[in-house]
Amino acid sequence: MKTPRLSRRKRALLNCAPIGKERIRDRSMRSAVFRASDSNEFANQQSFDRALHELVRIIPIPPATAEWFSTKDLFSPSKWTWKKTLRNPAVLAVGIALVVIAGVLVFQFVARLNDFPGSPTARKLLTIAGSTRSVVLDPVNAEAGTLSDLFFMKHGLEHYDVPPEFADFHTIGCRVFEDDQSQRVAQIWVSEKRMQFFLFPAERDVKSGAVLRFPGWRYIHQEGWIGAVTERGGVCFMAALRGREKDLAAYIPKAKQ
Amino acid sequence: MLGDPRKAQEIFETTLREAALRAAHGELPNQRFWIFRDARWRCLEASETDLQAEPLQLEERDITSAASSQIAQLDSTQLAIWISAAPDPQRTALALFYLDEFDYREILELAELKLSELSRLLALGRRQFQAWLDAMLPEKTKV
Repeated sequence: MKTPRLSRRKRALLNCAPIGKERIRDRSMRSAVFRASDSNEFANQQSFDRALHELVRIIPIPPATAEWFSTKDLFSPSKWTWKKTLRNPAVLAVGIALVVIAGVLVFQFVARLNDFPGSPTARKLLTIAGSTRSVVLDPVNAEAGTLSDLFFMKHGLEHYDVPPEFADFHTIGCRVFEDDQSQRVAQIWVSEKRMQFFLFPAERDVKSGAVLRFPGWRYIHQEGWIGAVTERGGVCFMAALRGREKDLAAYIPKAKQ
Repeated sequence: MLGDPRKAQEIFETTLREAALRAAHGELPNQRFWIFRDARWRCLEASETDLQAEPLQLEERDITSAASSQIAQLDSTQLAIWISAAPDPQRTALALFYLDEFDYREILELAELKLSELSRLLALGRRQFQAWLDAMLPEKTKV
C-alpha cells in the first residue's frame, strides 16, 4: 500500500519517526505514524531503521569508556536520615501545614468540648457585656434575687430567676432587650466586681420543642470575658465578668460541671 | 561521528574532564544537552584535521524491503565509517538518530536543525545508504 497523501509537515515527521513506536511522545508524530502505518514505504523505512539501529548497538565500546557506563554506583548514595528529610523544604512546608491543620482541629475540638446547649447565645451575650455601658440600663437599687418579680410583673418573663449563689448581690441597673433571634434577654449589672448577669431562654430541640437541659455550671470564654452558665426551668442564667475562670470560680458552687 | 574508536575515546575523556572542571568551578551551563553539543563540536573539530573525502554526488535508491537483510550482513564498523564520512550536519543527524537515545525534537535542539532539515538529511541518508548497500551487496538484493 502506498503512503497516503500527507501534509509536508507530516511527511517530515514520518522521516524522523522513532525506531520504536513506544518512543513516540508527541501527538503530531503519533498522528503521522498512524496515518502511514499501513504503507509499504513506511514499513520499509521502519525495518531499515531498526536494522541500522541493531548494527549501531553492536558497535563495540572501548572498555575504558564502558567503565563510565557501569551499572554499579560510582559512589554510594548518601544515607537517608530523618534530619535530612526534615530539612527538605517540601517536607518542611507539608509538616508546617499539617501542624497548622492539626492545631485548628484541636482548637475546634476543645472548643466543642466546652459547648453546651445555649453556648452560641451565651457567647453573643458576652460580647454585649463587653460593649454595654451602665447608662443604658435602668437604675435599680435592690438585691439581684428580687428582680424576678420585676421581670415577671413588668415584662411577663417567667422563671427569670437569679440563682441563690448570686441572689444577694447588689444591683446597679437592669434592662430587658431582644437579641438578634427575638429572644428576650434580661441583663443585670451588679456592683460586685462589675459583674453582669444575663437571663435568656434555654435552647430547645428544633423538632420537639423540648428544652435542651444540661446539668451544673458551664464556663464560656469570649473576648477576655468569662461566663458561668446554668439552666433552670427552661431559662439560662449567666454570670459574666472581665477576667479569668478563677475570678468567677469563687462564686460558683463546688458541685459545678 | 568519527569512525575511529581511539579518537572517540580521546574526545569522550576530554569532554568529561572539561565537564568535571566546569562542575568544580560551578560553571556548568544551564542548557539541556550541553555536554552532547560540546562532544559533537569536538568531534567535528577533530575530523577537520583528518583527510577529507572529496565531496561527490552519491547515488540514491529507494529503500527496499530487502534492506534489513542486507544490513544484517554488514559489520558495525562499516556503518560507523559510512556515517563518519557523511558531511555535517547529516553526519550528526544520522549518528544521533540511529543511537535511538533522543527523540526528534531533542535532535533538532542538539544539532541546531529545523524539522524540514532533519527530515531531508535522514531521508537522503537512507536513500544513499540503500544505494551503497546495493553496490556493496548486489547479489543479495537480486534474488
